[in-house]
Amino acid sequence: MKKFNTIFVVDDDLVYHFIIKKLFSKCNLDVKTSYFFNGLEAIDDLKNKVETDNVPDLILLDINMPVYDGWQFLEEFRKLKQNLTKEITVYLVSSSNDISDLNKSKLYQDEVKEYYYKPMTQEDFDTIFR
Amino acid sequence: MKTSFASNENLLEEKVSFYKNLLNKVPNLIFQLTISSNNDFCFSFINKNVISLFEINQLELKEKPIDIINKKIHPDDREDFFKSLFTSKKNNQNWNHEFRVILLNNAVQWFSVNANVEVDSLNSTIFYCNLKNITSSKHKSLKLQESQTRYQFALEASKKGIWDYNLKTGKVFFSKESLEILHLNELDDITDNWQWDERIHPDDLVDYLQNIESHKENRTPYFENTKRVLASDGSYKWILSIGKVIERDLNGNSIRIIGTHSDVSSNKEKEIELLGNLDIIIEQNNRLLNFAHIVSHNLRSHTGNFKMLLNIFDETDDLISREECITYLKTTSNALSETIDHLKELVDIHSTIIHKKEHLNLNVYLKQTLEVLSKEVKDNKVTIVNKIGEKDTIKFNPAYLESLFLNFTTNAIKYSHPERNPEISYTSFRENGKVVLLIKDNGLGINLEKHGEKLFGMYKTFHKNDNARGIGLFITKNQIESMGGSIEVESKVNVGTTFKINFNEEI
Repeated sequence: MKKFNTIFVVDDDLVYHFIIKKLFSKCNLDVKTSYFFNGLEAIDDLKNKVETDNVPDLILLDINMPVYDGWQFLEEFRKLKQNLTKEITVYLVSSSNDISDLNKSKLYQDEVKEYYYKPMTQEDFDTIFR
Repeated sequence: MKTSFASNENLLEEKVSFYKNLLNKVPNLIFQLTISSNNDFCFSFINKNVISLFEINQLELKEKPIDIINKKIHPDDREDFFKSLFTSKKNNQNWNHEFRVILLNNAVQWFSVNANVEVDSLNSTIFYCNLKNITSSKHKSLKLQESQTRYQFALEASKKGIWDYNLKTGKVFFSKESLEILHLNELDDITDNWQWDERIHPDDLVDYLQNIESHKENRTPYFENTKRVLASDGSYKWILSIGKVIERDLNGNSIRIIGTHSDVSSNKEKEIELLGNLDIIIEQNNRLLNFAHIVSHNLRSHTGNFKMLLNIFDETDDLISREECITYLKTTSNALSETIDHLKELVDIHSTIIHKKEHLNLNVYLKQTLEVLSKEVKDNKVTIVNKIGEKDTIKFNPAYLESLFLNFTTNAIKYSHPERNPEISYTSFRENGKVVLLIKDNGLGINLEKHGEKLFGMYKTFHKNDNARGIGLFITKNQIESMGGSIEVESKVNVGTTFKINFNEEI
């Protein structure tokens, strides 16, 4: 039984979107996915979905993005979280192996469940979805 | 008559006995030495004190006086002893001499002898001698002399000077060495404290006065201060002063402070140089670290994409998917090349190659930029307000100045407010002798609380704008900093943004 059904992918890299799509199909995961190019697009959509009680189970979140980066998304997400009836799991997915980013992610330990390094592999997907 | 003669004789005997007694009983060491014309020695009188002190026994008293002298006097002092004795005899002058004596227990004692000299009818010289044991004072003065020599040497070797400040009179004694540090000497007549204080560098005076005050008020165990002091050749010397109050009145007020001066100029100059180097090293280190992060961030995402795309390519036989992969591989390759170009540009800006700096007129360069952008300015109905002084020039790299104006101007147009026509104003003025350039727009503005720390970062964009690449501000900032300048920003969302560029150029 898979854990997640609806998923947000938030990343400014189009190539990454393609790779994630391919990983889903390869793992035979029948999930509903929405793709966003920055944190602001994602948080705006999430706010709408909160109203219709249609929020995702999982968010794969990049850190370095234009307009709103991953941190700014998390700030907004933190405010939103109190009104949620359903738990949303957030994974940070970044190519940054900078220790300062890793440390900063600990400030959001209530929001962020795990920190994954890019590129995401099939093994990562296996752990996440099985 | 006879009776009276006898009584006279008695009287005389009494007198002689009285004087003998007196000479024996007084605590002084008294003796009489007679040297005949053919240099025979004879102790014509030795008082009891001398005999007991020198522990001369009856047997010795019968020996030749010269032997007694040789036996008692320290071998190193014998030659001088006789020399001075015979000089006195020859010149018929009072004899004053200091010498060491070896007593029976081998103790060495210093004595001084003072004698009146008289020549009698037989042409013998009679010395009426008074001896004095001067051992303790001699030791003291020898010790004093030794410590003074040592002290003087220490002062000379350490190049330290001495000062002695009388707070009541305001007078100061400066030792020769103290004055020499400033190329001064006694003739310069530096005797008052104000004459010293007025030579202290104005930037160091407050600290100096505070330090001396806190010691005067007994808040510090001693006074210590390093400051620049004007030497007679017009140069400043770094002088370390250390001193201590050695006299206070009944109310605890300081009366006298004594201390040392030492020239620490070379140490201080090295210290300043070292601190300067440290700043450069820290700055370069930060830049390097920053660069390493940029490289790691930006290259890793591309290489990760390559790896995953190739995996997908390998694992699929579907032609359409394969072609998709090739398209994305091309995209990734282009993005990687672009990133590498940007990183190379960044390296060039901060490489050790000395950038060409020229005197550039700000107005000329602004006008050039506006000409290049004339179409954009016209199409977007931009109002340009040029308040740059006609003659304001800076020393800067020409290519960097061009890109600076180009970047800020295109940014202002790109992020203009949709509800009004863009207005960009350029102003120059001087702040602390340095040229400052303000570029102000009435555009979208940036929320600095949210984006402030990453405003000048690489690949950061803040607006929903398709042609934003997030490289212009990053490169411009690096170029300005490589020229020794700095950049500040003020912005309000929906009001506009002002960039302040501080050129590191004193005119």
